[in-house]
Amino acid sequence: MKRFLAAMLLLLCVTGCTAQPKSYTADFFAMDTFMSVTAYGVDEQTAQDTAVTCERRVNALEPALSRTREDSDIYRLNHADGAVCEVSDDTYAALQAAVEYAAYTGGAFDPTLAPLTDLWGINTENAHVPAQAEIDEALTHVGYQNIELLGDNQVQLKNGAQIDLGGIGKGFATDAVAALLDGSCSVLATLGGNIGAYGENPSRDSGGWVIGIADPDNNADYLATVEVRDRSVVTSGDYERYFEQDGKRYHHIFDPATGWPADSGLRSVTVIDAVSTRADALTTALFVMGLDKGLAFCAEQGIAAVFVTADKQVYTSAQVGEVCTFTFLGEEKGYTYAQ
Amino acid sequence: MKTKKLTLCGLLTALAVVLSLVERLFPLDAVVPVPGVKLGLANVVTLFALTRVSARDAFAVVVCRVAISSLLMGSVTAFLFSLFGGLLSLAAMWALLRAEGKFCSLLGVSVAGAAAHNIGQVIAAVIWMQTGAVIAYLPLLLVMSVPLGLVTGLTCAIVLSHMKKIDFSV
Amino acid sequence: MRSRLKWGDFVIIAAVLLLAAGIAAALALGQGGGRLYAEVWQDNTLVERVELTDSTDRTIDLDGHNVIVLSGRTAAMQSADCRDQVCVRTGTLTHAGQVAVCLPNRVVLKLVGETDEIDAIVS
Repeated sequence: MKRFLAAMLLLLCVTGCTAQPKSYTADFFAMDTFMSVTAYGVDEQTAQDTAVTCERRVNALEPALSRTREDSDIYRLNHADGAVCEVSDDTYAALQAAVEYAAYTGGAFDPTLAPLTDLWGINTENAHVPAQAEIDEALTHVGYQNIELLGDNQVQLKNGAQIDLGGIGKGFATDAVAALLDGSCSVLATLGGNIGAYGENPSRDSGGWVIGIADPDNNADYLATVEVRDRSVVTSGDYERYFEQDGKRYHHIFDPATGWPADSGLRSVTVIDAVSTRADALTTALFVMGLDKGLAFCAEQGIAAVFVTADKQVYTSAQVGEVCTFTFLGEEKGYTYAQ
Repeated sequence: MKTKKLTLCGLLTALAVVLSLVERLFPLDAVVPVPGVKLGLANVVTLFALTRVSARDAFAVVVCRVAISSLLMGSVTAFLFSLFGGLLSLAAMWALLRAEGKFCSLLGVSVAGAAAHNIGQVIAAVIWMQTGAVIAYLPLLLVMSVPLGLVTGLTCAIVLSHMKKIDFSV
Repeated sequence: MRSRLKWGDFVIIAAVLLLAAGIAAALALGQGGGRLYAEVWQDNTLVERVELTDSTDRTIDLDGHNVIVLSGRTAAMQSADCRDQVCVRTGTLTHAGQVAVCLPNRVVLKLVGETDEIDAIVS
């Protein structure tokens, strides 16, 4: 019997030590939002190291991308009165991406809306509807063409342009996190409205990550899910930041053409893409374009996007079926899925 | 007589392993959406060993079968789950077999064994995964164990009645 | 044949089915049986961790800045003294993985626990 038990013990060792992966979550505040990075690794230490490295990377990006911090590159650039500025590698890369996606979306996404958001006072205590003349004046400074990228990290702002990378900052950070991963850990990063899901999800047989798309009326709840892997999922919605004046709602996604909050009949747009910066810029651009133009743009460019309209319809572009598993769950909440 | 018994146990173990392998050809979990649902063919061997050899030898056969089949196709988790299930099933059938003939038939014994197997597996899963969530699968697994247990019990009864026709003793 | 059914066989089958029904009923009453916890974080430190059960009924007051109500298996930021009120508008949290964040006060209310439904919500 003794020998028998010994043999059993040996067998136990041989059959392998497929221990459950350990996870570690780093929660932190950065870029004016709440972030959470969960890493899954072979042991707690590996998971913790990965999550903390990701947190550090995001924190290091903050001075490169922030507009409000006085020690940031963007602050310096915005206050240089049109002089040529040298910026860090990260800032330059983010600016390049911003200009690229602005051109790609025909200006529907624009990184130079800062004068407008300042004028409307979005997210400050004196948020208000400005006079049309003020809006018109602010619009003269808006336009991504005013950003001159001169190479060698040299940037010049023309025509009084002011940069706000808020529209792609979190996407840029998500991509930076993705670039850090070496495959030793699976990571689920929630950076504000940007989610990056990389590697195999150890808690699901399929290995995929199921991401809920928020219900615009109650954004703790969701009205659809997408199952993805090695992709980023980004949502922009009118419910994130807004103010009310005279019973009307004004949200924070501005149409660069009019200088007013985009009135496109949409509540939110979600984009699923391997590149989070691109997805981030696209959600804003598609929101501004509206449903019809947005869907046409998605079809033309092969973009995976989910649109939620004000009249409670959910639309998906053809590409969605190819990059993720989409499940509609909004029936009880009064939504219909228009295929 | 010892050699004959040893040979028989080896044979039974081999048969049980083959049955566990054959079982995988019928992906029952494709029909019933519960992970871990199996025909339980190897239970026929356990029941046979219990009735025709001895409880001690049946125990050895179960442990060896679980160890070998896990080594062939499973992981350490599969090994633990099957071992727990197999031993609990063995205990239940051993207890009920004493009342067999008066209180119940081989079919009842087999159903109880199948149910105990599932309970054992789920207990092992709860301990190993440190989560009670897997218990949610148990009701369906238990319901399934009734028809599956009847089938294996019937198979064993047929085997035993055929055995009567040949000169077979240990 | 040893397969002729006796009355005891029916007793065994009935017992197995009853056990199945009993567990199913207990699980249904316990709402899936998965444990759910509400965590309250302030300035990146955990200040409260409460298991939510059907009988949970608690109010957590963070010095008047944020008031969190835990009721049954739900949690909600009832009020906050910040100007944007994003956390209050987030509504009632019911599933593990959901979060309500008060950025100005750096308060996070999140539900953690066993979940099969979703891994995260994008909003």
